[in-house]
Amino acid sequence: MLAYVAATCVLWALSGVLAVSTGFALAAGAGGTSRAWRWLSNGGITLTRGLPTSLLVVAAGVISIRIPPQSWLPDPFPATPSASGPVAWAVLLALALGSAGHFAVIFQTAYTALGRARVEQSIVLGAPPLRRLSLLSREAATAAIPPTAARLVHHLHNTAFAALFPVADLFGWIENGANETFNITRFVVAGGAVYVALSGLIWAGFKAIELRLRLPRANAKARGRRLAPAPDGAP
Amino acid sequence: MITDLLIGLPAQRPGGVALTLIIAIGSAAGALLLGVVYAAICVGAPRLSLTLQAPMALLRGVPLLLLIFALAQLTSLPLVMAGYVALLLYSLCHVGETLRGYLASYPPGLRDQSRVLGFGWAREWVTLRLPWTLRSSLDALATHWISLLKDSGALAVLGLGELTTVASTLSQNADVRDWELIIGLAGLFYLSVTIILIQSLKFLRRRLPPQEAMVI
Repeated sequence: MLAYVAATCVLWALSGVLAVSTGFALAAGAGGTSRAWRWLSNGGITLTRGLPTSLLVVAAGVISIRIPPQSWLPDPFPATPSASGPVAWAVLLALALGSAGHFAVIFQTAYTALGRARVEQSIVLGAPPLRRLSLLSREAATAAIPPTAARLVHHLHNTAFAALFPVADLFGWIENGANETFNITRFVVAGGAVYVALSGLIWAGFKAIELRLRLPRANAKARGRRLAPAPDGAP
Repeated sequence: MITDLLIGLPAQRPGGVALTLIIAIGSAAGALLLGVVYAAICVGAPRLSLTLQAPMALLRGVPLLLLIFALAQLTSLPLVMAGYVALLLYSLCHVGETLRGYLASYPPGLRDQSRVLGFGWAREWVTLRLPWTLRSSLDALATHWISLLKDSGALAVLGLGELTTVASTLSQNADVRDWELIIGLAGLFYLSVTIILIQSLKFLRRRLPPQEAMVI
């Protein structure tokens, strides 16, 4: 079972990183100054949000199942036969595409929530572009973290589609175990508990990041209140 | 091929787009009704609220595919019904929480207005609370409904003849050029239905009175 949990974690982590990066690139393109990039990025967002992940995975699987294994492809997927390497990579790409559009919208909304004034303030400060990006990302992160966590939990659940093809994952373990032993309840409960635990870990991890991001601001406010001069006549 | 994608494979009709829509709309409507009841109980009886919220939180941690598989294998429900109930439960645990959050933030000003107007409990719920909650949560509900429509593709794990299953079956038995077309068409159908749903919800949002108009 541990190998299948590890396989799910690898699928989730690799496709998640790819999805977040693509989402960031799409959001940046959609908010950019070039009309062609804006059009392309918005088209990409609409397409990846409008197509179900299940269909993307099916398409990726059907395309890649005819490709023979390639020696140059790395094989980071535990418990997946090396002959299924191309299918596993294709499923990973499909999972990433299925979530990229959603991440792009989350990042766009968080950036919009910053407000024009704060964006202009960062320009007036005269910081170099990378410093400005880091500053704005930190400000927007507090708005983006809760929906990003929710989407990453959904993304974890979507990794179960890998079981439609010969790619090892937790849902495939549950399905095979239940079909082979007819002890359905045991496999469903054990697998379900692991999914709930993994989802809980994602939530808790992001909650910790959110608290960490909010704390310096809360401390600064408290410091500001302490340092503020008392109004005239006040004790 | 187009007919198969629209109404299902000959042995599995209704299927394709038709079955996807029937199951998605049916589960969304059922979950909305049950979600209103769940939210009303949680807000009306805070002691019961935690008992109800815990199983909902657990259910949200379980993937839809596992829920579908468990219901199909552990109950004697027919496959279509098992798929429907799984989607209903999945939708309920998201819609219920959304409605609970909005219902809890019902403005006290509106409650006071209803008292001044001499509204009874039932009349206040029907004329003020529910319309305000549904209007406020429409954006969040719309996002969930679009996601639900796409997630109905998970029923492919049961081999139910909805759109993803039909596309998968047809493409696995087709030549290279044909499966590209089949997957492309299935994607186009999903995209069209999603865009129609988004536009309908935008229209509905425009037609509904703004929230501020509800405050007398």
